[in-house]
Amino acid sequence: MLIESDPDIDFRGVSKSFHIHEGNTLREFIPALLGGRGWDVFQALHDVSFSIYPGESVGVIGRNGSGKSTALKLMAGVTAPSEGKVLVRGRVSPLIELGAGFHPDLTGKENIFLNASILGMSDKQTRAVYSDIVAFAELWDFMDTPVKRYSSGMYMRLGFAVAIFSDPDILLVDEVLSVGDEVFQEKCMAKMREFQERGVTIVLVSHSLDLVKSFCHRALLLHAGGLVADGDPAEVADRYHDLMWATQTG
Amino acid sequence: MDQGLSVTKRPRARTAAFRASDFAHSLVEVARRYQLLWHMTVRHLRGQYKQSILGYAWAFLNPLSLLLTLSFVFSVLLRFDSGDVPFPLFVFVGLLPWIFFSTALASATDSVVGAASLVTKVRFPREILPMAAVLTKVVDLGFGLMILVALMVYFGETPTWTALWVPLLFLIHLLFVTGLALPLAALNLFFHDVRYLVGVALTLWFYMTPIIYPVDAVPSKYNVLFDINPNALLINAYRRVLLEDIGPGLDRLLIGLVVALVTFAIGYYLFKRMEPNFADRI
Repeated sequence: MLIESDPDIDFRGVSKSFHIHEGNTLREFIPALLGGRGWDVFQALHDVSFSIYPGESVGVIGRNGSGKSTALKLMAGVTAPSEGKVLVRGRVSPLIELGAGFHPDLTGKENIFLNASILGMSDKQTRAVYSDIVAFAELWDFMDTPVKRYSSGMYMRLGFAVAIFSDPDILLVDEVLSVGDEVFQEKCMAKMREFQERGVTIVLVSHSLDLVKSFCHRALLLHAGGLVADGDPAEVADRYHDLMWATQTG
Repeated sequence: MDQGLSVTKRPRARTAAFRASDFAHSLVEVARRYQLLWHMTVRHLRGQYKQSILGYAWAFLNPLSLLLTLSFVFSVLLRFDSGDVPFPLFVFVGLLPWIFFSTALASATDSVVGAASLVTKVRFPREILPMAAVLTKVVDLGFGLMILVALMVYFGETPTWTALWVPLLFLIHLLFVTGLALPLAALNLFFHDVRYLVGVALTLWFYMTPIIYPVDAVPSKYNVLFDINPNALLINAYRRVLLEDIGPGLDRLLIGLVVALVTFAIGYYLFKRMEPNFADRI
């Protein structure tokens, strides 16, 4: 049975351009303003439209600079499109550079509460999943240690654990599965599959075509800021191969 | 679009620019995220005196050293007359709110730039950042208040019921400094000159505010400068209610309140207008 539902993520004719500028001082700004020597504009996305429906797992692939990160930032709501519309429904948990909100001088425990509150959780909700977070990150003995004493692996584990227990409706994943050792990676994958089965919408940005093919229902291929393919992951991955080959020889 | 099937999942357009009608909605959102505001404040506090041997003693030592310097220069060397009130007490009642104002403004101006890694990754109401920076300085002010109490005991100055005005005066001050800090924090992302401009402006403002001198010492033709300067109005009012045991002067207080409210409304509006571009400019 097909259920009509509204998309969780909806890009409608989205373009995003950036001003390329040297620095952020008035000395650079005023000549540009007065002299009419405008800024150079870099078009990161050009007229991109797609809809991602509840429960879908969608892989986003493309070469470096193809606009993947920009698309992810637009989904996370940290930046606005220059043209078009981006609609996102529900709580988004970005697994983008884990632990971005960690403060080195706060303890593991304090950072859990801080980061969870940044992701929109109340302290009460965090307390309810606190022991799950600690258990998942396997950091029982380090909760009262300032995170500046953590190894980078411990740091990432804690970041992943907080994000994953923040009860997201939409999970945005950016190449983070390369964190930690293989055992932890397995654990992360298992958790993501559990989310998938529970109907959480997942957007996965990855260079690993195998991962996209095995995990996602659908893939989007971005190239030079445009959406060039949208569909079955295996077919889109083939297109990606062709593109890579074409740009390398051409 | 949404036919009420799911209550928690409302579509949010991320393109709409902030309009005046969004004020209430977005302030309610900030209030709803009070725990985030608190965690951010703790984060600031922890970072503030980290790796210093004296740690929080600096929250006492900073205002105290300034007080001693100013008292020595202006009372002993230049023999300023502060009337019936001992000069150190006179200065400190003005100095303490000034320290709050200036450190809060400077720290809030840097707050969004300082949280770059967060701003480019996660969506949350960005005004929480300058607000937390200001709140951090409220905690510092608490430490300074202990010095004030000690000074008042030492000089045998007992506050009367007029001291009850202080919380209201402080709320106006808080509103004013937050209103100024919001657009400065946003502009500082676009032009890093702003932080230096704030430093220069604060130095000038310090002398334009009756902190080391009483407002009566000002020639009357310059009065207008003090009538529109909320810091002057408020510091004068703090002195009246704490040291002179009279009311804050309601007409002046009203001006201060209006200026603070207008500053906050404009500042918040400007901040929210610039907010969608933050992540692109860091």
